[in-house]
Amino acid sequence: MSDINFNLEEFNLQLDTHFIGTNIYFLDHVESTNSYLMSRNEDFENGTVVIAETQTKGRGRLDRTWLSDPKVNLTFSIALTKKDLFTSPAMINFAASLAVANALQNLFQLPVELKWPNDVLVKGKKISGILMESISAGSEITRMVVGFGINVNQSNFPGKYLILPTSVKNEYRGPISRERILSEVLNLFEQYLGFLKFDKKMLLQSWKEKCRMIGEKVKIESGDTQRFGVFVDVDVDGFLLFREGAQTSKITFGDVSLRGQ
Amino acid sequence: MDINLLKRLVRMVETSNIAEFSVQEGDLRVKIAKYSSNPAPVITMPANAVPAAPAAAAPVVPSEPKPAENLQNLYEVKSPIVGTFYRAPAPDADPYIKVGDQVSPGTVLCIIEAMKLMNEIESDVSGTVVKILVENSSPVEYNQPLFLIELNK
Repeated sequence: MSDINFNLEEFNLQLDTHFIGTNIYFLDHVESTNSYLMSRNEDFENGTVVIAETQTKGRGRLDRTWLSDPKVNLTFSIALTKKDLFTSPAMINFAASLAVANALQNLFQLPVELKWPNDVLVKGKKISGILMESISAGSEITRMVVGFGINVNQSNFPGKYLILPTSVKNEYRGPISRERILSEVLNLFEQYLGFLKFDKKMLLQSWKEKCRMIGEKVKIESGDTQRFGVFVDVDVDGFLLFREGAQTSKITFGDVSLRGQ
Repeated sequence: MDINLLKRLVRMVETSNIAEFSVQEGDLRVKIAKYSSNPAPVITMPANAVPAAPAAAAPVVPSEPKPAENLQNLYEVKSPIVGTFYRAPAPDADPYIKVGDQVSPGTVLCIIEAMKLMNEIESDVSGTVVKILVENSSPVEYNQPLFLIELNK
């Protein structure tokens, strides 16, 4: 089933959203779908989606590379420009990763788990990564871009990775439709963004239920420093509460892993 | 007090509508006043209406930033979110801006990262970067000053 062209019509039939995907750019090649939507040369409408079959400079946090074979996976980004969505940027992270996790669980019954702040794992391997970028003019966020990479039909991942990758194909025996996955992720993402306004607690609770690291001993790496402690909880702003000895601190970034891994 | 700073202050007062200006650094107190038959009234100017020193002049930052911060043509760029401050898009990349660089609305100054949200902070003013107040990859608080920008005329 792999290496077939993405069927926009099939995707559109399954899409059930109000604003996400009203505008869709389907690109054969692009440097990065995030960079495309971060471009200052164009104003994008709220919910604009850019899908690319090949990213020549796919990237993650701090310009780490996101590798994806052409035409087999999903790499796409969504532009958000409505300011009432930006009151809690961390929650957008949770809405995005939860949408991917629940889409994969609903469609393929995969045992998904979430890694703070927004990776989606299956049996400890990374199946999806999310990179959020935003533009602030002065102190106000004016545009936010949520970039998704989901490994779907790729079965081999040569190279070195911080976390071993996997794909839907490697975890599920059966027919896999990229169009179906994308529409499901967008449907759920829009639904969860709605929770931001009315039921932030429920969104956070649903996210935490899929995060196996809460309560565990973890290692946090950022730059050259390593810290060891307990992943106590995630607070309403999305910060990781981290306990070292008697002291609990809020963590805003870094690579978290279970101790010993 | 740095003589260059003093010269700059004199020039700034000369070219502005400020009639009198005083500053204290340690034990040294400097007062600069303009005299004319018809003295300009002292008004509180909106920050961007005060002319800046020529951009070509090498930026001089006093050892104690306090007096300079009170100058009306210096603008503080503050952090919109809690996170980590990065001066460059990647660890081995060139910084977005350096001291002495000209910036205008839309120029990217830095990234603040919070929970994998990479937030590009654009300047909302035109001017010259005179000071970078935060070390690369250190944590910043909401509203913490990040840059001092000397506003253009």
